[in-house]
Amino acid sequence: MKRLTALAFTILIISFTYAQDKRFTLSGTIVDTQGKALSNVSIRVLSGGHTVQSNEEGKFCIKDLRPKIYAIAFSYLSFSSITRKIEIKNSSVDLGNVVMTNAHYTIKEIDVLGETYPTTLTGFLNREIVDQQYIHKHLGGSLMQTLSRLPGISNIGIGSGQSKPLIRGLGFNRIVVVEKGIKHEGQQWGVDHGLEIDQFATGDIEVVKGAASFLYGSDAIGGVIDIKPEALPEKGTVSGSFDLIGKSNNALYGSSANIKGRIENWVYGARVTYQNYGDYRVPTDTVHVYDYPVRLDKQKARNTAGREFNIHANAGYVTDNFRSVFYMSRNSAQSGFFANAHGLEPRRVDTDLHDASSRDFQMPYQEVKHLKVINRSSLSVGIHHLEMEAGFQHNFRQEYSMYVNHGYMPPIYPDTMKTPSDLERQYDKRVYSLNVRDRFSVGQHTFVAGFNGEYQNNAIDGWSFLIPGFRQYTGGAFLYDRYRLNERVLLHGALRYDHSHIETVRYTDWFPSVVSEENRVTETEHLVRADNLRRSFNSLVWSVGSSYHVGDFSLNTNLGKSFRVPIAKELAANGVNYHYFSYEKGDPTLSPEQSYQLDIGIQYSRNRFSFGLHPFYNYFSNYIYLNPTPRHDHFYGSGNQVFEYTQSKVRRYGGELKVNYRLSESFRTELLAEYVKAKQLSGSKKGYTLPFSPPPSVLTNLSWQPRDTGILKDTYLSIDLHLFAAQNEIVPPEKKTPGYGLVNIQTGHSLFIGCQPVTINLQVQNLFDKKYMDHTSFYRLIEMPEMGRNIVLTLSLPLTIKNTDN
Amino acid sequence: MTKYNRFPISIFLLLALFISGCEKGKEDIIDDVPPEIHIDFGEAFPIQCSTLKKGEKFAFRARFSDNTELGTYSLDIHHNFDHHSHTTEFEECNLQPKKDPLKPFLFIRSYDIPKGQKSYEAVQEIEIPSDIDAGDYHFMIMVTDATGWSKMIGLSIKIE
Repeated sequence: MKRLTALAFTILIISFTYAQDKRFTLSGTIVDTQGKALSNVSIRVLSGGHTVQSNEEGKFCIKDLRPKIYAIAFSYLSFSSITRKIEIKNSSVDLGNVVMTNAHYTIKEIDVLGETYPTTLTGFLNREIVDQQYIHKHLGGSLMQTLSRLPGISNIGIGSGQSKPLIRGLGFNRIVVVEKGIKHEGQQWGVDHGLEIDQFATGDIEVVKGAASFLYGSDAIGGVIDIKPEALPEKGTVSGSFDLIGKSNNALYGSSANIKGRIENWVYGARVTYQNYGDYRVPTDTVHVYDYPVRLDKQKARNTAGREFNIHANAGYVTDNFRSVFYMSRNSAQSGFFANAHGLEPRRVDTDLHDASSRDFQMPYQEVKHLKVINRSSLSVGIHHLEMEAGFQHNFRQEYSMYVNHGYMPPIYPDTMKTPSDLERQYDKRVYSLNVRDRFSVGQHTFVAGFNGEYQNNAIDGWSFLIPGFRQYTGGAFLYDRYRLNERVLLHGALRYDHSHIETVRYTDWFPSVVSEENRVTETEHLVRADNLRRSFNSLVWSVGSSYHVGDFSLNTNLGKSFRVPIAKELAANGVNYHYFSYEKGDPTLSPEQSYQLDIGIQYSRNRFSFGLHPFYNYFSNYIYLNPTPRHDHFYGSGNQVFEYTQSKVRRYGGELKVNYRLSESFRTELLAEYVKAKQLSGSKKGYTLPFSPPPSVLTNLSWQPRDTGILKDTYLSIDLHLFAAQNEIVPPEKKTPGYGLVNIQTGHSLFIGCQPVTINLQVQNLFDKKYMDHTSFYRLIEMPEMGRNIVLTLSLPLTIKNTDN
Repeated sequence: MTKYNRFPISIFLLLALFISGCEKGKEDIIDDVPPEIHIDFGEAFPIQCSTLKKGEKFAFRARFSDNTELGTYSLDIHHNFDHHSHTTEFEECNLQPKKDPLKPFLFIRSYDIPKGQKSYEAVQEIEIPSDIDAGDYHFMIMVTDATGWSKMIGLSIKIE
C-alpha cells in the first residue's frame, strides 16, 4: 500500500511536466570566469515576463517560447548583469556557457575548505558544511554513513541502514542532532538504534566538531549535526524532484519524490521517500559471535533486511521581515537484527526459515516510528531579529524477539500477561521543545540572547527490562556576544545557565526471583529493578574565542566549558544488553559530565592550494563510562558479566587536516586526515582509552571535473583511497582491529532529455571487495566484517512545473 | 612578505610541541588479554556431551588462567529443549526431539576466585534435583579477569 502511494505520487509529479504544448526552449549554463557553475542566477525574458533561475549546476531552461527575438537578462548578486538578444526561429536554442564576471573581486572562494567567515554563532568552531549534492555523490546506507567521509566524523553502524554519528570518537548522547532547529530526540543511547532522519529530505548540513553546549545545552559536549530544512521555493514557482536509488550489495531499491511551490507569500511542499533492502553481503562465510562459529548462507548477514517509508509536508507564510513555516514528518523503519547475535547469548537460529529469502526479516527485528511537527518562525523588528522554533516529537520504538526466559522468568510465557510474548522491549517517548532567540547589533557588538526548553516523557513496555520510564525537563538561557575589534579580529564570548530535572519510574519484575536458598527453603521475591528517583542538575557553562583573518590566512581559537546531564540509562539501567550479552547497571548518584575544550583552526589558501588544520585538546573531569567489572549477575539473564556506569577523568586530543590542491583546471586532489587519542586518567580503567575510539585515517582523493563542453555536462570522476591504521588501544570487551585500505569511486554526469535535466551519480564502494573490520561498527565484536563491494546508482530528475514571476 | 607570514609557522611549532608533549610521561601498563578456560585435561567435567544424573551430585572441574589476575567465574545450566544450541564445540551431540519445558532445571551461580591468582582449578559440587525435566541442556562456563576481560564456553550436555 505504501509503495503504491509513493508510486502514485511520483506519477502525479511527472505527468505535470508533460502536460504542456510543444514550443521551443532556450537553455544554457551560467558559469563564472573560472568556469565554475553559478546557481540561482535570475534569467529574465524581458519581453515575455518569464523568469527562471539556474540550478546548482548553473543550468537553466526556459520552455514555451514562440519564434521571436527575445531580450534576455542575466543577473546575479555581486556579478555584472548581462543582456543578450536571442532569436528563436524554428528550433530550440542552447546558448552553451554564459560567462558572468564578478563585479567585486574581493569575494573569496569559499568552497575550497567548506568554511565560511564566522558570521554565524557556530562560525568560530570547527565545522563542515555539506549540501544535497554531496549527499548524492557519497550516498551511504544512512545519513551518518554518508557524512563519515568527512574528517573527524565516523559512525557506529548496525547493519546496512542504521547508524549513529561519532564525532572525534564521541557519540550517543554526547552528540546533538538538530533538525529544522529542533533537537532530534529518539533513543540515542542504544548502540543498535539508528537515527530517524531521511537523508533525502535535508538541506545543508552543518557538522560542528567539538563542544557547543553554550548554544545547544546538554549533550552538545562532543559536537552537533545541524540539519537545515530544504531551501524554500522562489516566488511564482512550482518545482519538484524525483530520485531513484539502487544498491547492489543489499539489493536496495528506493525512491524519493518531492514537490514544492510558492504562491505569493505562501509556501508549501511535500516529500515521500521509500526504500526497501535485503540482507547485506559480507565477504566471509563464517563469523564468530564471541566464541561461537556461525555459518552464513551465501555470505549474507542473516536477517538484516529492512524497509523505510517517510513522508514530509510543510506549509508557511514568508515575507521579507516575517516568516513562519510548519513542518510535519513521519519516518517509519523496520529492520531485522543479525539473528545469531541477539539475546542472552549467541544462538543458533532456524536457518531454513531465515535463509529462505534474503528480502524478508523475521524476529528479532525493530520497528521505529518517528513523528515530528515543527514550527519555525522569525520576525525582524528594528534592530532585533527574533527566531523561534517549537516542536513536538513522538518516537515509538518496538523490538520484537521470541520469548526466552531470563534468569528466574518462567520457562513458558504466562498467557495472563498483557504484553505480547514477542514484544521484547518498547519505548514510547513524547518530546516538547521550544527555542527562542533574539539577535541584535549595538555598535561593534552583535548579541544573541536565547532560551531552550524541553520536556520528555518516556514510557516503557515489553517483557524484558533495561531502563525505566522517565520524565525529564530541561531549561537553559544563554547570552552570546560577538565583538568586532578591527578589520582582522573578531572576539566572542558566551555564557549559559541550565537547569534540568529527571524522575524515573519504579519498575518491579513481573516474575519472582529466588533470593535465598537456605536449609532447602527457597525464598522468592519480585525484585525492584529501578526505584523512583528524582535528580536535579544545574550547570553554568561558558565559551570564549577569537577569529583572526588576514589575507589568505585565518586563525580561529575557542576555549569553552561544556556539560552533559546523565541520562536515564546511566542513572537507572538494570538489565541485559542483548547485543553485548552484558548486564548493565546504572548509578543513581552520577553527577553531570564537565568538559573543557580548546579548539584551534588554522586555514590558509592561495591560488591552487588550500590548507586547514584543526587540532583540539579536551579534558573531562568526570566522563561517564560503562565499566566492565569482573563480577557476574545472578538474577537477570544467565550469569552475564556486570558492566556498571562510573565516572573517570579523561583526556582527549587530536585533530583533522585538510589539504586541497588544484593540479589543473579539471584535476584536483585532496587529502583528509584525522587523529584522535583518548586516555582515562583515573578510575579502574586508568590508562585505558575510551570505547569506540576511531583509528587514525587518511583519505586521499583525485578528481577530474572537466569544464562543460560538448557532451560533458557536470561530468566528474573521483577516486578515494581511504587508509585506516590498526586500532590496538582497546577496553574490554573490544578487540584489536587491524588496519586496512579501501578504494571508493564516484562518478556522475548530467544530461538533458528534451528540457528535462537528469543527473546520474554512480558509486562503487569497497571496489576490491575487501574484507575488513570497522573498529566503530557495532558488529565488530562478533567478527562481522563490513559490507563487500557495493554499487550505488542514483538518478535525479529536477522538475520545473511552473516558473513565472507574478 | 608581510610580518604575518611567520605567525602560522610559529603556531604550528607550538602545536607540534603541545601534542608531542602529551605523549611523554610514564605509560600505564595496559592488560588487553582475556582469561582462558581449560577443559582439556583428564579430570575436567563436564565436557561436551557429558551426561548428568537427576537427584545426584556431580563435581564441576575446570582450570582458568590469565596473564595478570583472575576475577570471578559463573556457571549456568539451562534447558535446550528448543534446540537453540549455541555450543562452542564443533561436535554436536545427539539431540532428543524438541519438546516444551514443564519443570526445566535452571542453575545460575557465580563464584569468587581467591585474589591474585593467575591460574586456578575450580572444583564445585552441584546437586541436580530429582523432580526436573530430563533432556538436552546447556552448560555455560564464564570467567572474567580482574580488569573485566571475559571468556565463555558453552557445552551441550544431557540430564537423565
